[in-house]
Amino acid sequence: MSLVRVALGFSLAALIGIPIGLLMGASLHARKFLSLMVEMARPLSAIALLPLSIILFKARTFSQLFGLEHLRYQKNLLNEMQLGMIFILFWGGVFPIILGTIQGVRSVRRMHLEAAGILGAGRLFTFRHVIIPSALPDIFHGLKLGIGRCWMVIIAAEMLPGTNSGIGYLIRYSYQLSRYDIMLASIVIVAFIGALFSKGLESIGEKSLVLRSRER
Amino acid sequence: MIALKVTNLSKTYRESSGDVHALDSVTFETETGEFLCFLGPTGCGKTTLLRAIAGLEKPDNGVVRIQSHPDGGEPVIGYVFQQGALFPWMSIFANLEFPLKAKRIVKDTRREKVESMLEMMGLSSFASSYPHQLSGGMQQRAALARSLVMEPDLLLMDEPFSSLDTRTSQELQENLRDLLKRASTTVLFVTHNIEEAVFMAGEIIVLGHRPGRIVRRETINLPESRSRLSDAFTEYLVSLRKTFESLVSGS
Repeated sequence: MSLVRVALGFSLAALIGIPIGLLMGASLHARKFLSLMVEMARPLSAIALLPLSIILFKARTFSQLFGLEHLRYQKNLLNEMQLGMIFILFWGGVFPIILGTIQGVRSVRRMHLEAAGILGAGRLFTFRHVIIPSALPDIFHGLKLGIGRCWMVIIAAEMLPGTNSGIGYLIRYSYQLSRYDIMLASIVIVAFIGALFSKGLESIGEKSLVLRSRER
Repeated sequence: MIALKVTNLSKTYRESSGDVHALDSVTFETETGEFLCFLGPTGCGKTTLLRAIAGLEKPDNGVVRIQSHPDGGEPVIGYVFQQGALFPWMSIFANLEFPLKAKRIVKDTRREKVESMLEMMGLSSFASSYPHQLSGGMQQRAALARSLVMEPDLLLMDEPFSSLDTRTSQELQENLRDLLKRASTTVLFVTHNIEEAVFMAGEIIVLGHRPGRIVRRETINLPESRSRLSDAFTEYLVSLRKTFESLVSGS
């Protein structure tokens, strides 16, 4: 259950964070305009926003969002996808992704941009074929940090009252039942899955990293 | 026909330690198809001059006029950097394809052009390799190929072979000369290596030390096909080296 929540929240963060980062990296105006907002929003812990997001989204879940409530009594995953929880996951993951992407776009080598210009590439072409591939390693780095944050956030969020599924819930519940064996096992699983996430992303990003690091 | 006319080009870099005059009213022109070498000590503004002509650097003053393409369109300019300008995330083939793709040339023509260029440069077997898998010499060869595949009217080269060992560098010089014989490309070649200049160029412009200005221009009176081992070549080289020394130390 936790995994599905993270997958949802994290994809949302990536889907929104990468374009924002690209925009902020490429355009000075966008950077000036958005950086204040990002810098103010970034230190706000996602957990601190949980109560607010519960007020905002009530206990709505994804199944309600898509009008699928009639499926309620079947085993419906979407029923467990509380919007509030997805929102704070998004919040936790999006900032490292934005910052990583900006970093990537800004660290494109000037010589490559100049070469592209002389070779006749226009702005869009350069963006698509030079800036994005060159920024890819940093984007992956941001994604890696982002998914780590998401994972931390979801465990904490699930430990709060009001949830009845997920591995964070399992940790809290086994603690209440004094089943420390289950609790410890869950913690190990959490650590293991977290490592798996970042290793997985790393191996996807490996190729672009290798290409850039060997260039010099 | 005049391929390039540069008038009163000046550029000053303002730095905290004071102004650095990189170029001081540089004026010259060159004919279509000519091979012009800029020779000068490090820091004399050679690179700045080339960058200003390419439009990479905005001069404080002066005009650069480049003859338009024979069919009346924008002139095509090629630029070969000192090193490392290949895109490391693209294969050699994709690197060469880049300028053609940017110009929206259809796929089949692109493939054809890239393949024949790779063939000419002896790079066919590296088409699917990435730049980091190639030696420095091969990388520069590929960078040169990427500039030539656009069939430039004006080719600007900024010490393209200076980071290579002598043997590789000479090989590439010979290659480039042979390739250019078939085209009417005008070439500006920047170097601090006198031998390279004498071997390649039709004319040499010597730039003096700061501020960067032209101190001498001369035509090289050697036959088209030159041999490094011929007496005429060595003689010429020695005499030019002498004048060069006196010019540089005198300023």
